[in-house]
Amino acid sequence: MNDPRKGSDAEPTTHFGYQSVPESQKADKVAEVFHSVAAKYDLMNDLMSAGVHRLWKRFTIELSGVRTGNRVLDIAGGTGDLTRQFSRLVGPTGEVVLADINASMLKVGRDKLLDSGVANNVQFVQADAEKLPFPDNHFDCVTIAFGLRNVTHKDQAIRSMLRVLKPGGRLLILEFSKPTSNLLSKAYDAYSFSLLPLMGKLITNDSESYRYLAESIRMHPDQETLKAMMVEAGFERATYHNMTGGIVALHRGIKP
Amino acid sequence: MFTQALLATAETGINRVLRLDATALPRLAHLAGKVIEVECSAPALQLFILADEAGLRLAARWEGDIACRLRAPASSLLRLATSNDKTAVLHSPEVELDGDSAVLLDLAGVLQDLELDWEYELARWLGPVGSQLLSSHLKSRARWTSQNLDSLRHNLADYLAEESRSLVGNNEAQARFAELDDLKMALDRLDARVERLALTLTPKPSEPA
Repeated sequence: MNDPRKGSDAEPTTHFGYQSVPESQKADKVAEVFHSVAAKYDLMNDLMSAGVHRLWKRFTIELSGVRTGNRVLDIAGGTGDLTRQFSRLVGPTGEVVLADINASMLKVGRDKLLDSGVANNVQFVQADAEKLPFPDNHFDCVTIAFGLRNVTHKDQAIRSMLRVLKPGGRLLILEFSKPTSNLLSKAYDAYSFSLLPLMGKLITNDSESYRYLAESIRMHPDQETLKAMMVEAGFERATYHNMTGGIVALHRGIKP
Repeated sequence: MFTQALLATAETGINRVLRLDATALPRLAHLAGKVIEVECSAPALQLFILADEAGLRLAARWEGDIACRLRAPASSLLRLATSNDKTAVLHSPEVELDGDSAVLLDLAGVLQDLELDWEYELARWLGPVGSQLLSSHLKSRARWTSQNLDSLRHNLADYLAEESRSLVGNNEAQARFAELDDLKMALDRLDARVERLALTLTPKPSEPA
Protein backbone atom coordinates (compact mmCIF):
# COMPACT_ATOMS: atom_id res chain seq x y z
CA MET A 1 0.00 0.00 0.00
CA ASN A 2 1.02 3.70 0.01
CA ASP A 3 2.09 3.62 -3.57
CA PRO A 4 5.00 1.24 -3.08
CA ARG A 5 7.51 1.29 -5.89
CA LYS A 6 9.90 -1.57 -5.89
CA GLY A 7 13.20 -1.24 -7.61
CA SER A 8 14.77 -4.30 -9.17
CA ASP A 9 17.26 -4.79 -6.34
CA ALA A 10 16.23 -2.15 -3.76
CA GLU A 11 13.77 -2.43 -0.90
CA PRO A 12 10.24 -1.14 -1.47
CA THR A 13 9.73 2.58 -1.03
CA THR A 14 6.91 4.60 0.41
CA HIS A 15 6.15 8.26 0.72
CA PHE A 16 7.22 10.51 3.53
CA GLY A 17 5.32 13.65 2.65
CA TYR A 18 6.27 14.28 -0.99
CA GLN A 19 9.56 12.40 -0.65
CA SER A 20 10.02 8.77 -1.53
CA VAL A 21 11.88 6.85 1.16
CA PRO A 22 12.67 3.18 1.81
CA GLU A 23 9.84 1.64 3.84
CA SER A 24 12.19 0.78 6.70
CA GLN A 25 13.05 4.47 7.15
CA LYS A 26 9.57 5.96 7.25
CA ALA A 27 8.78 5.02 10.86
CA ASP A 28 12.05 6.60 12.03
CA LYS A 29 11.40 9.77 10.05
CA VAL A 30 7.86 10.06 11.42
CA ALA A 31 9.22 9.44 14.90
CA GLU A 32 11.69 12.34 14.44
CA VAL A 33 8.80 14.63 13.51
CA PHE A 34 6.81 13.74 16.61
CA HIS A 35 9.80 13.82 18.96
CA SER A 36 10.32 17.36 17.71
CA VAL A 37 6.75 18.59 18.15
CA ALA A 38 5.57 16.56 21.17
CA ALA A 39 6.13 19.26 23.79
CA LYS A 40 3.99 21.84 21.97
CA TYR A 41 1.67 19.44 20.17
CA ASP A 42 -1.54 20.61 21.89
CA LEU A 43 -0.71 24.29 21.50
CA MET A 44 0.04 23.81 17.80
CA ASN A 45 -3.17 21.83 17.29
CA ASP A 46 -5.19 24.63 18.83
CA LEU A 47 -3.42 27.27 16.78
CA MET A 48 -3.50 25.40 13.48
CA SER A 49 -7.17 24.46 13.68
CA ALA A 50 -8.36 27.46 15.74
CA GLY A 51 -9.57 24.94 18.32
CA VAL A 52 -11.81 23.11 15.83
CA HIS A 53 -9.92 19.84 16.37
CA ARG A 54 -11.75 19.62 19.70
CA LEU A 55 -15.10 19.65 17.87
CA TRP A 56 -13.91 16.94 15.45
CA LYS A 57 -12.97 14.82 18.46
CA ARG A 58 -16.32 15.50 20.17
CA PHE A 59 -18.09 14.17 17.11
CA THR A 60 -15.88 11.08 17.18
CA ILE A 61 -16.88 10.43 20.79
CA GLU A 62 -20.57 10.84 19.91
CA LEU A 63 -20.32 8.25 17.15
CA SER A 64 -18.25 5.80 19.18
CA GLY A 65 -21.23 4.27 21.00
CA VAL A 66 -18.91 3.60 23.94
CA ARG A 67 -20.69 2.82 27.20
CA THR A 68 -19.90 1.89 30.79
CA GLY A 69 -17.69 -1.18 31.11
CA ASN A 70 -16.39 -1.11 27.51
CA ARG A 71 -12.77 -1.70 26.53
CA VAL A 72 -11.42 0.97 24.17
CA LEU A 73 -8.14 1.22 22.25
CA ASP A 74 -7.00 4.74 21.29
CA ILE A 75 -4.22 4.22 18.74
CA ALA A 76 -1.83 7.09 18.04
CA GLY A 77 -3.55 8.62 21.06
CA GLY A 78 -0.84 11.25 21.39
CA THR A 79 -1.64 13.67 24.15
CA GLY A 80 -4.74 11.78 25.22
CA ASP A 81 -7.66 14.00 24.18
CA LEU A 82 -9.85 11.04 23.18
CA THR A 83 -8.57 8.81 25.98
CA ARG A 84 -9.67 11.33 28.60
CA GLN A 85 -13.22 11.36 27.22
CA PHE A 86 -13.35 7.58 26.83
CA SER A 87 -12.10 7.16 30.39
CA ARG A 88 -15.15 9.11 31.63
CA LEU A 89 -17.51 7.08 29.48
CA VAL A 90 -16.31 3.58 30.33
CA GLY A 91 -16.16 4.31 34.06
CA PRO A 92 -14.27 2.27 36.66
CA THR A 93 -15.46 -1.05 35.23
CA GLY A 94 -14.12 -0.32 31.75
CA GLU A 95 -10.64 0.12 30.35
CA VAL A 96 -8.99 2.50 27.90
CA VAL A 97 -5.63 1.74 26.32
CA LEU A 98 -3.72 4.72 24.98
CA ALA A 99 -1.27 3.37 22.43
CA ASP A 100 1.30 5.36 20.50
CA ILE A 101 4.39 4.25 18.63
CA ASN A 102 6.20 7.41 19.67
CA ALA A 103 7.66 7.44 23.19
CA SER A 104 7.76 11.24 23.41
CA MET A 105 4.08 11.61 22.53
CA LEU A 106 3.15 8.79 24.90
CA LYS A 107 5.08 10.46 27.72
CA VAL A 108 3.41 13.83 27.12
CA GLY A 109 -0.01 12.12 26.98
CA ARG A 110 0.61 10.05 30.10
CA ASP A 111 1.86 13.05 32.12
CA LYS A 112 -1.05 15.18 30.99
CA LEU A 113 -3.66 12.55 31.86
CA LEU A 114 -2.11 11.67 35.21
CA ASP A 115 -1.82 15.35 36.12
CA SER A 116 -5.52 15.80 35.45
CA GLY A 117 -6.45 12.78 37.59
CA VAL A 118 -7.18 10.32 34.80
CA ALA A 119 -5.47 7.14 35.96
CA ASN A 120 -7.63 4.33 37.26
CA ASN A 121 -8.93 2.84 34.05
CA VAL A 122 -6.23 3.90 31.58
CA GLN A 123 -3.25 1.87 30.37
CA PHE A 124 -0.36 3.33 28.35
CA VAL A 125 1.24 1.12 25.72
CA GLN A 126 3.95 1.90 23.19
CA ALA A 127 2.78 -0.02 20.16
CA ASP A 128 2.95 -0.11 16.38
CA ALA A 129 -0.51 0.14 14.78
CA GLU A 130 0.53 -2.46 12.18
CA LYS A 131 1.33 -5.07 14.81
CA LEU A 132 -0.95 -4.41 17.76
CA PRO A 133 0.20 -6.38 20.82
CA PHE A 134 -3.28 -7.37 21.97
CA PRO A 135 -5.30 -10.57 21.80
CA ASP A 136 -7.91 -11.17 19.10
CA ASN A 137 -11.50 -9.94 19.75
CA HIS A 138 -10.40 -7.84 22.72
CA PHE A 139 -11.79 -4.29 22.28
CA ASP A 140 -15.32 -2.90 21.91
CA CYS A 141 -14.05 0.18 20.11
CA VAL A 142 -10.81 1.15 18.39
CA THR A 143 -10.03 4.73 17.38
CA ILE A 144 -7.13 6.29 15.53
CA ALA A 145 -7.22 10.07 15.32
CA PHE A 146 -4.80 11.87 13.00
CA GLY A 147 -2.47 8.89 13.07
CA LEU A 148 -3.24 6.63 10.13
CA ARG A 149 -1.56 8.85 7.54
CA ASN A 150 1.76 8.37 9.35
CA VAL A 151 1.54 4.58 9.24
CA THR A 152 3.73 2.93 6.61
CA HIS A 153 1.37 0.04 5.73
CA LYS A 154 -2.13 1.38 6.27
CA ASP A 155 -3.82 -1.80 5.04
CA GLN A 156 -1.87 -3.88 7.57
CA ALA A 157 -2.79 -1.45 10.34
CA ILE A 158 -6.50 -1.61 9.47
CA ARG A 159 -6.37 -5.43 9.44
CA SER A 160 -4.61 -5.37 12.79
CA MET A 161 -7.37 -3.14 14.21
CA LEU A 162 -9.98 -5.53 12.84
CA ARG A 163 -8.25 -8.43 14.55
CA VAL A 164 -8.26 -6.87 18.02
CA LEU A 165 -11.89 -5.70 17.78
CA LYS A 166 -14.67 -7.87 19.16
CA PRO A 167 -17.35 -8.90 16.66
CA GLY A 168 -19.78 -5.96 16.54
CA GLY A 169 -17.01 -3.60 17.69
CA ARG A 170 -16.40 -0.29 15.96
CA LEU A 171 -13.37 1.21 14.29
CA LEU A 172 -13.31 5.00 14.06
CA ILE A 173 -10.69 6.67 11.89
CA LEU A 174 -10.48 10.44 12.28
CA GLU A 175 -8.12 11.82 9.69
CA PHE A 176 -7.46 14.70 7.35
CA SER A 177 -9.05 14.12 3.98
CA LYS A 178 -9.95 15.84 0.73
CA PRO A 179 -12.02 19.07 0.79
CA THR A 180 -15.27 18.72 -1.11
CA SER A 181 -15.14 22.15 -2.76
CA ASN A 182 -12.45 23.39 -5.14
CA LEU A 183 -12.51 26.86 -3.65
CA LEU A 184 -12.00 25.54 -0.13
CA SER A 185 -9.29 23.22 -1.45
CA LYS A 186 -7.34 26.15 -2.91
CA ALA A 187 -7.66 28.20 0.28
CA TYR A 188 -6.68 25.17 2.35
CA ASP A 189 -3.59 24.54 0.17
CA ALA A 190 -2.51 28.15 0.53
CA TYR A 191 -2.96 27.94 4.29
CA SER A 192 -1.22 24.57 4.64
CA PHE A 193 1.86 25.32 2.60
CA SER A 194 2.50 28.89 3.67
CA LEU A 195 1.03 29.51 7.13
CA LEU A 196 1.52 26.08 8.76
CA PRO A 197 5.30 25.92 8.28
CA LEU A 198 5.53 29.53 9.43
CA MET A 199 3.59 28.74 12.61
CA GLY A 200 5.80 25.69 13.14
CA LYS A 201 8.87 27.85 12.79
CA LEU A 202 7.59 30.44 15.26
CA ILE A 203 6.22 28.08 17.93
CA THR A 204 8.39 24.96 17.79
CA ASN A 205 11.31 26.29 15.74
CA ASP A 206 10.65 23.46 13.30
CA SER A 207 9.02 24.34 9.99
CA GLU A 208 9.96 21.05 8.32
CA SER A 209 7.70 18.98 10.58
CA TYR A 210 4.74 21.12 9.62
CA ARG A 211 5.67 21.01 5.95
CA TYR A 212 5.61 17.22 6.35
CA LEU A 213 2.16 17.52 7.97
CA ALA A 214 0.78 19.40 4.95
CA GLU A 215 2.41 17.01 2.49
CA SER A 216 1.36 13.86 4.32
CA ILE A 217 -2.26 15.06 4.30
CA ARG A 218 -2.11 15.38 0.49
CA MET A 219 -0.66 11.88 0.18
CA HIS A 220 -3.32 10.32 2.43
CA PRO A 221 -6.11 8.36 0.69
CA ASP A 222 -9.31 10.34 0.08
CA GLN A 223 -12.65 9.49 1.68
CA GLU A 224 -13.78 6.86 -0.81
CA THR A 225 -10.36 5.19 -1.04
CA LEU A 226 -10.08 4.84 2.72
CA LYS A 227 -13.62 3.48 2.92
CA ALA A 228 -12.73 0.92 0.25
CA MET A 229 -9.63 -0.05 2.24
CA MET A 230 -11.80 -0.67 5.31
CA VAL A 231 -14.20 -2.84 3.32
CA GLU A 232 -11.24 -4.68 1.77
CA ALA A 233 -9.86 -5.39 5.24
CA GLY A 234 -13.18 -6.95 6.26
CA PHE A 235 -15.20 -4.19 7.90
CA GLU A 236 -18.95 -4.00 7.38
CA ARG A 237 -21.22 -0.96 7.19
CA ALA A 238 -18.24 1.29 6.46
CA THR A 239 -19.35 4.91 6.28
CA TYR A 240 -17.75 8.30 6.57
CA HIS A 241 -18.79 11.78 7.70
CA ASN A 242 -17.11 14.84 6.21
CA MET A 243 -16.38 17.64 8.64
CA THR A 244 -15.41 21.25 7.92
CA GLY A 245 -16.01 20.78 4.21
CA GLY A 246 -14.12 17.50 3.97
CA ILE A 247 -10.87 18.85 5.46
CA VAL A 248 -11.37 16.10 8.01
CA ALA A 249 -13.39 12.90 7.67
CA LEU A 250 -14.51 10.41 10.26
CA HIS A 251 -14.68 6.84 8.91
CA ARG A 252 -16.53 4.18 10.81
CA GLY A 253 -16.71 0.44 10.26
CA ILE A 254 -18.15 -2.48 12.21
CA LYS A 255 -16.40 -5.81 12.65
CA PRO A 256 -18.74 -8.58 11.44
CA MET B 1 -19.85 21.72 13.51
CA PHE B 2 -21.85 24.77 14.54
CA THR B 3 -24.03 22.60 16.79
CA GLN B 4 -20.92 20.99 18.25
CA ALA B 5 -19.44 24.40 19.00
CA LEU B 6 -22.67 25.59 20.60
CA LEU B 7 -22.94 22.49 22.78
CA ALA B 8 -19.27 22.64 23.75
CA THR B 9 -19.69 26.25 24.86
CA ALA B 10 -22.87 25.50 26.81
CA GLU B 11 -21.24 22.46 28.41
CA THR B 12 -18.22 24.45 29.53
CA GLY B 13 -20.44 27.16 31.03
CA ILE B 14 -22.74 24.70 32.83
CA ASN B 15 -19.83 22.73 34.27
CA ARG B 16 -18.18 25.92 35.49
CA VAL B 17 -21.40 26.84 37.30
CA LEU B 18 -21.75 23.31 38.72
CA ARG B 19 -18.25 23.52 40.19
CA LEU B 20 -19.38 26.54 42.25
CA ASP B 21 -21.54 24.20 44.36
CA ALA B 22 -19.40 21.78 46.34
CA THR B 23 -22.18 19.17 46.53
CA ALA B 24 -23.40 19.18 42.91
CA LEU B 25 -20.71 17.09 41.22
CA PRO B 26 -20.62 14.32 43.88
CA ARG B 27 -24.41 14.10 43.60
CA LEU B 28 -24.11 13.65 39.82
CA ALA B 29 -21.67 10.74 40.23
CA HIS B 30 -24.37 8.09 40.58
CA LEU B 31 -25.83 9.14 37.22
CA ALA B 32 -22.63 8.07 35.43
CA GLY B 33 -23.28 5.89 32.41
CA LYS B 34 -26.94 6.96 32.10
CA VAL B 35 -27.93 8.96 29.05
CA ILE B 36 -30.96 11.26 28.93
CA GLU B 37 -32.39 12.09 25.53
CA VAL B 38 -34.31 15.37 25.39
CA GLU B 39 -36.35 15.82 22.25
CA CYS B 40 -37.98 19.20 21.77
CA SER B 41 -40.99 18.71 19.50
CA ALA B 42 -41.51 22.40 18.71
CA PRO B 43 -39.02 23.61 17.55
CA ALA B 44 -37.50 20.25 16.52
CA LEU B 45 -34.27 19.78 18.45
CA GLN B 46 -32.56 16.80 19.99
CA LEU B 47 -30.07 16.78 22.83
CA PHE B 48 -28.37 14.03 24.79
CA ILE B 49 -27.27 14.68 28.36
CA LEU B 50 -24.70 12.55 30.17
CA ALA B 51 -23.84 13.26 33.78
CA ASP B 52 -20.98 12.05 35.94
CA GLU B 53 -18.75 13.31 38.73
CA ALA B 54 -16.89 15.52 36.25
CA GLY B 55 -20.06 17.37 35.26
CA LEU B 56 -22.46 17.28 32.34
CA ARG B 57 -21.71 16.32 28.78
CA LEU B 58 -24.02 17.52 26.02
CA ALA B 59 -24.19 15.77 22.68
CA ALA B 60 -26.15 16.32 19.48
CA ARG B 61 -26.25 12.60 18.75
CA TRP B 62 -25.54 9.44 20.71
CA GLU B 63 -25.13 5.90 19.51
CA GLY B 64 -25.21 4.17 22.90
CA ASP B 65 -28.10 3.11 25.16
CA ILE B 66 -30.61 5.71 26.39
CA ALA B 67 -31.81 5.49 30.01
CA CYS B 68 -34.58 8.06 29.75
CA ARG B 69 -36.26 9.78 26.82
CA LEU B 70 -38.17 13.04 27.31
CA ARG B 71 -40.23 14.48 24.46
CA ALA B 72 -42.01 17.83 24.91
CA PRO B 73 -42.48 21.25 23.33
CA ALA B 74 -40.06 24.01 24.29
CA SER B 75 -42.61 25.68 26.61
CA SER B 76 -42.98 22.51 28.70
CA LEU B 77 -39.21 21.98 28.80
CA LEU B 78 -38.83 25.54 30.06
CA ARG B 79 -41.49 24.96 32.74
CA LEU B 80 -39.74 21.72 33.69
CA ALA B 81 -36.47 23.59 34.12
CA THR B 82 -37.95 26.36 36.26
CA SER B 83 -40.87 24.78 38.11
CA ASN B 84 -40.58 23.43 41.65
CA ASP B 85 -43.26 20.83 41.07
CA LYS B 86 -41.58 18.91 38.25
CA THR B 87 -43.80 15.87 38.65
CA ALA B 88 -46.87 17.94 37.71
CA VAL B 89 -45.12 19.15 34.54
CA LEU B 90 -44.06 15.60 33.67
CA HIS B 91 -47.68 14.42 33.98
CA SER B 92 -49.01 17.08 31.61
CA PRO B 93 -50.45 15.64 28.35
CA GLU B 94 -47.94 17.24 25.98
CA VAL B 95 -44.96 15.64 27.77
CA GLU B 96 -43.91 12.10 26.86
CA LEU B 97 -41.47 10.27 29.10
CA ASP B 98 -40.02 6.82 28.39
CA GLY B 99 -37.55 4.80 30.43
CA ASP B 100 -36.22 5.52 33.90
CA SER B 101 -37.76 8.85 34.96
CA ALA B 102 -35.77 8.78 38.23
CA VAL B 103 -32.63 9.63 36.23
CA LEU B 104 -34.25 12.78 34.89
CA LEU B 105 -35.71 13.78 38.25
CA ASP B 106 -32.35 13.22 39.96
CA LEU B 107 -30.60 15.46 37.46
CA ALA B 108 -33.32 18.12 37.72
CA GLY B 109 -33.07 17.94 41.54
CA VAL B 110 -29.32 18.54 41.50
CA LEU B 111 -29.70 21.52 39.18
CA GLN B 112 -32.52 22.96 41.28
CA ASP B 113 -30.67 22.62 44.57
CA LEU B 114 -27.60 24.51 43.35
CA GLU B 115 -26.18 26.92 45.91
CA LEU B 116 -23.47 28.73 44.07
CA ASP B 117 -20.45 30.04 45.90
CA TRP B 118 -19.75 33.11 43.78
CA GLU B 119 -17.27 34.47 46.31
CA TYR B 120 -15.00 31.48 45.77
CA GLU B 121 -14.98 32.10 42.01
CA LEU B 122 -14.33 35.81 42.57
CA ALA B 123 -11.47 34.97 44.95
CA ARG B 124 -9.81 32.90 42.21
CA TRP B 125 -9.65 35.96 39.98
CA LEU B 126 -9.22 38.83 42.45
CA GLY B 127 -7.58 37.22 45.45
CA PRO B 128 -9.07 37.04 48.98
CA VAL B 129 -8.85 40.77 49.77
CA GLY B 130 -10.22 41.97 46.45
CA SER B 131 -13.06 39.45 46.47
CA GLN B 132 -13.97 40.36 50.09
CA LEU B 133 -14.09 44.08 49.24
CA LEU B 134 -16.07 43.52 46.07
CA SER B 135 -18.51 41.01 47.58
CA SER B 136 -19.18 43.16 50.69
CA HIS B 137 -19.75 46.15 48.41
CA LEU B 138 -22.09 44.13 46.18
CA LYS B 139 -23.95 42.73 49.19
CA SER B 140 -24.46 46.20 50.72
CA ARG B 141 -25.64 47.52 47.32
CA ALA B 142 -28.04 44.57 47.02
CA ARG B 143 -29.36 45.21 50.57
CA TRP B 144 -29.76 48.93 49.85
CA THR B 145 -31.59 48.18 46.59
CA SER B 146 -33.86 45.66 48.28
CA GLN B 147 -34.72 48.08 51.12
CA ASN B 148 -35.39 50.90 48.68
CA LEU B 149 -37.62 48.71 46.54
CA ASP B 150 -39.62 47.74 49.66
CA SER B 151 -39.88 51.38 50.69
CA LEU B 152 -40.95 52.40 47.19
CA ARG B 153 -43.63 49.70 47.15
CA HIS B 154 -45.05 50.85 50.50
CA ASN B 155 -44.97 54.53 49.54
CA LEU B 156 -46.64 53.84 46.23
CA ALA B 157 -49.35 51.77 47.91
CA ASP B 158 -49.94 54.51 50.50
CA TYR B 159 -50.10 57.22 47.83
CA LEU B 160 -52.55 55.30 45.63
CA ALA B 161 -54.77 54.35 48.59
CA GLU B 162 -54.62 57.44 50.81
CA GLU B 163 -53.61 60.42 48.68
CA SER B 164 -54.98 59.89 45.22
CA ARG B 165 -57.76 57.53 46.36
CA SER B 166 -57.20 55.61 43.11
CA LEU B 167 -57.16 52.33 44.98
CA VAL B 168 -58.86 51.12 48.12
CA GLY B 169 -56.48 50.77 51.06
CA ASN B 170 -55.72 47.36 52.47
CA ASN B 171 -57.45 47.97 55.86
CA GLU B 172 -60.45 49.53 54.20
CA ALA B 173 -60.70 46.60 51.78
CA GLN B 174 -60.42 44.08 54.62
CA ALA B 175 -63.22 45.85 56.56
CA ARG B 176 -65.41 45.90 53.45
CA PHE B 177 -64.70 42.19 52.80
CA ALA B 178 -65.65 41.43 56.46
CA GLU B 179 -68.93 43.32 56.03
CA LEU B 180 -69.64 41.41 52.84
CA ASP B 181 -68.91 38.14 54.64
CA ASP B 182 -71.33 39.12 57.46
CA LEU B 183 -73.95 40.09 54.90
CA LYS B 184 -73.53 36.77 53.10
CA MET B 185 -73.88 34.87 56.37
CA ALA B 186 -77.01 36.86 57.27
CA LEU B 187 -78.44 36.16 53.83
CA ASP B 188 -77.77 32.45 54.23
CA ARG B 189 -79.47 32.46 57.62
CA LEU B 190 -82.46 34.34 56.19
CA ASP B 191 -82.67 31.90 53.31
CA ALA B 192 -82.68 28.97 55.71
CA ARG B 193 -85.35 30.59 57.85
CA VAL B 194 -87.61 31.25 54.84
CA GLU B 195 -87.22 27.64 53.78
CA ARG B 196 -88.16 26.47 57.27
CA LEU B 197 -91.22 28.75 57.36
CA ALA B 198 -92.26 27.59 53.91
CA LEU B 199 -92.11 24.01 55.13
CA THR B 200 -94.34 24.78 58.15
CA LEU B 201 -96.91 26.59 55.96
CA THR B 202 -97.11 23.83 53.34
CA PRO B 203 -99.84 21.30 54.33
CA LYS B 204 -98.64 17.73 54.81
CA PRO B 205 -100.19 15.24 52.29
CA SER B 206 -101.54 12.97 55.11
CA GLU B 207 -103.51 15.81 56.81
CA PRO B 208 -107.12 16.59 55.62
CA ALA B 209 -107.58 19.96 53.94
